[in-house]
This record gives sequence, structure tokens and C-alpha cells, in this order.
Amino acid sequence: MNISEKLAPIRKGLLEFVILKIVAGDKVYVADMLKLLGPTEFATQEGTLYPLLSKLRREELVDYEWQESEAGPPRKYYKLTQKGRTQLSTLNDYWKDLNRTLADFGN
Amino acid sequence: MQKVVSISLNGNSYQLEEPGFNLLSSYLERADSRLKDSPDRAEVMADLEQAIGEKCRGMLGPHKTVVSVAEVERIIAEMGPVESADEKTASDAAAAAGAAGAEGTSSTGPTAGPTPRKRLFQIREGAMWSGVCNGIAAYINVDVTWVRIAFVLLTIFSSGLWLVAYVVLMFVVPVAQTAEDRAAAFGMPFNTEELISRAKKNFEEFGQTYRWRREWRRQQRHWNRQFRHMNEQLRATASQVVPPMNHGTGTFMSVFLPLAAVVGAIVFVAWILAMFSLVTQHTIFGWDLPHGIPIWVGVVALVLIYLGVSAPLKALRHGGQQPAHHVGFSALYGLIWIGCTALLFWAAYHYFPGVRELVDNLVWAANLTATTISETIA
Repeated sequence: MNISEKLAPIRKGLLEFVILKIVAGDKVYVADMLKLLGPTEFATQEGTLYPLLSKLRREELVDYEWQESEAGPPRKYYKLTQKGRTQLSTLNDYWKDLNRTLADFGN
Repeated sequence: MQKVVSISLNGNSYQLEEPGFNLLSSYLERADSRLKDSPDRAEVMADLEQAIGEKCRGMLGPHKTVVSVAEVERIIAEMGPVESADEKTASDAAAAAGAAGAEGTSSTGPTAGPTPRKRLFQIREGAMWSGVCNGIAAYINVDVTWVRIAFVLLTIFSSGLWLVAYVVLMFVVPVAQTAEDRAAAFGMPFNTEELISRAKKNFEEFGQTYRWRREWRRQQRHWNRQFRHMNEQLRATASQVVPPMNHGTGTFMSVFLPLAAVVGAIVFVAWILAMFSLVTQHTIFGWDLPHGIPIWVGVVALVLIYLGVSAPLKALRHGGQQPAHHVGFSALYGLIWIGCTALLFWAAYHYFPGVRELVDNLVWAANLTATTISETIA
């Protein structure tokens, strides 16, 4: 098992956090999200992203609106809800704590 | 040259080469079955369809109107395996696979992760009844005919009790509904190419059974014609001897048909008894099978003989008379046949102890079945 495989569960667990961060900016379309994620460690495919976004929407962390596109049918643009914003700041704080804890070990 | 299939994805139409269509529909079917427990199933499926549609559009231009197989493969590889976001446990491996796919290392397209565990399903395709035998055959990897013969023999040996087991299996064993279920039933790795080749094989086999039936029907029609011909000749001879009658056919049939019905009943009862005697005592009315020939060959031979003998009688009943008399004569034949059969069975029951034993066993098994069912319901 190589190191990338070993870390896969961590990436998977963090994906939700990453998505919330991306959506926190401007309204985004799924293809743009994939483009953003592509070059990073969090490279993802539609098969994983759509179910995740639907779940986040069910949990009322994100919402979407339809926007006309010049080519083809209208597209879903995702944005963060108020509840999502609260959750994101909680996650941010937790991540900072986690980093501090990790840095403190072994010293 | 490739055959093209028109599809609609989320309200827009696209044209795909046929093998590409097969790949795509099995991808979507698999996605749907992965999401079957998710409350977002419909929404995610619509999202996926729209995403695929957009990718298709990206492949097309003013002078290119059809999406090729290779392009469909690429689209499916880009989409990646669909994972329900709610199940945390099974998704880890797929996440790794998804990341690997996005990095461009995976070019195999729609392959599944681990080989699915073999499971017992009812397989409705090509089923006689409910697909239980079919599923068992797939599970233990033998031809379905053997499983069916085993079921029939078990039913006979257990005096019908085995039928209860069949009914129980019918309710307990799940029905294979998706392509993935069917793959699990056969214990095959889920792979689209294999599914397609399997589908082709099934189709060919279906064609063969169909041809066989058609051949059999043709043979019956042939007999029908012969009988009609014979009938006409007989009538012609009769009309030379006897003064012509208005109901020539009727007279002929009203004499001949009851006779045929009696013969039919005798043949039927003799066949049932011979079968019974063969299976329980390994002889046909005291006549041993030639050495080295297994019982099942005898059973098959008896079935074939019965079909051969009864087919002309059946042909006579259905085609041996004028269409106008058809229903009446057919009903008459049926009545006489049932009467004779009942009479013969009654006689056999009273004069042959073996037959009595069989009937008593059957009645006992039927009673037991009824009690079991009523107890289960209560």
C-alpha cells in the first residue's frame, strides 16, 4: 500500500470541508469545482461530487440556483447557506486546533 | 459502419454508437443501483445525466453528430464510479480509485472495484416459473436443465412436499433486478463488455429455443393437415357408400372423436403410471430398463413417447374437424377425456396398491402444505 492510498480516507473525509470552502466564495458550477480540484490532492469526479453536493444540500449547508448558460440547458450554481457558513467556521477552527495539536506532538 | 442509438439525457437528445449506448446505459444502471438507498437518488441521477449530456455536446460539432464508443468510454472514465455520499465505509477504496482516475493513471473505464460476492438470486430471464432453478443453476454453475430435473425428481420422491420448499424459496430468495444483481448471481466481476457478450449469448440461445418451438408447432400443423386430409378422404369414401348427409363431418366426428378421447385418456393414465413405476421401482410395469441406461434417460424417453403419441390425438381434437364445429367437439373431447381419466385412475386406485400409495401420499402432502400455509398466515 503506497502512501497516497494510505491517505485516501483522510482526503475523502476532508473533501466535504474543501467543498464548503470552495462554495464559500462566489457561486460555482460543478465543472468549475472539478477544474479547481483537479490539480490538487483532492482531484474528484462527477460520480463522487454530485452525490456529495446533494447530501450537503439535504443537510442545508449549501443551496443552488439555476442559471441560464449560453451553451445548452440551465446549470446549477451552488452557494453556501447561513448554516453552511456556521459549519465552515467550526470546521476551520477545528482544523486549526488539529494542526496545533499535531505540531505540539514530538516536541 | 455502426448502428446509432438516439437517447435522451435530461431532456436533450444525443446520438450514440450502439456499443457506446450499451456502455452508458449499464453505467447509469449501476449508478442508480448504488444510489438506491439515497434520498437524493432522482436528483443525482438527473445531475449525472446532465453532466454526461454536456460532455457529449463537447464531443460534437457541426460536422460530427454521433458520439463514438471511444468517446463514451472516455466520458464514463471522466465521470468516475458513482458513490453514495451517505455510506462512509465502502467509499474509501472508491475515493482512491476516483483520485487515481482523475490523475489519468486509470484508462480502463467502467471497471468495478472488488469482484462481487456470489449471491443467490431468482433470475427471471429464461425462467420456467419464477427463476429459482435458474438462480440456483447460476449459483452452483451447472446447466439449468439439471437443476430442473433435480427439482422434478425431488418433488416426485417427496410426494409433492418439495413444492413447498420451492414456494418458500420463491418468497425468500431476492429477485435479480439490476444488471449488477445478475452479475452477482453469476459471480462474475461486473464488467460491461462481459455483460454485453452475455446478453448476446442469451439472445442467441433464446433464438434457438424459439426455433425449436417453431419447428414443433410446424410439425403439429403438418399433422393437423394430414388429419384434415384423411378426414376429407374418409368423408369422400363415406359419401360414396352412404347417401350424402348434411352433417357428414359431424357424424364422422361424433363417432371417432369419443374413441380418440378414450384412447387419449388411456395413453395419459398409462404414461403417468409408467412414469411413477419407473421412478419408484426402476421398471416400467415390470420391464427393466436395458442395462447401463440411467433412470433419467428413461424419464426423458417416456416424455418423448407420450408427446409423440398424444400429438396426433391433440391435432385431431383441434384441427380434425370443420372450424364451425371446433368448440363443441373440443369440449366433447375434453369431457370424455376427463371422464375416462378419472375412471381409469379410480380403477387403478382400487386395483393396484402402488397407485393407492401414491395417491394417499399426494393427499397427505397436499394436506400438510395447506396446514403449513395456514399456520404461516395465522
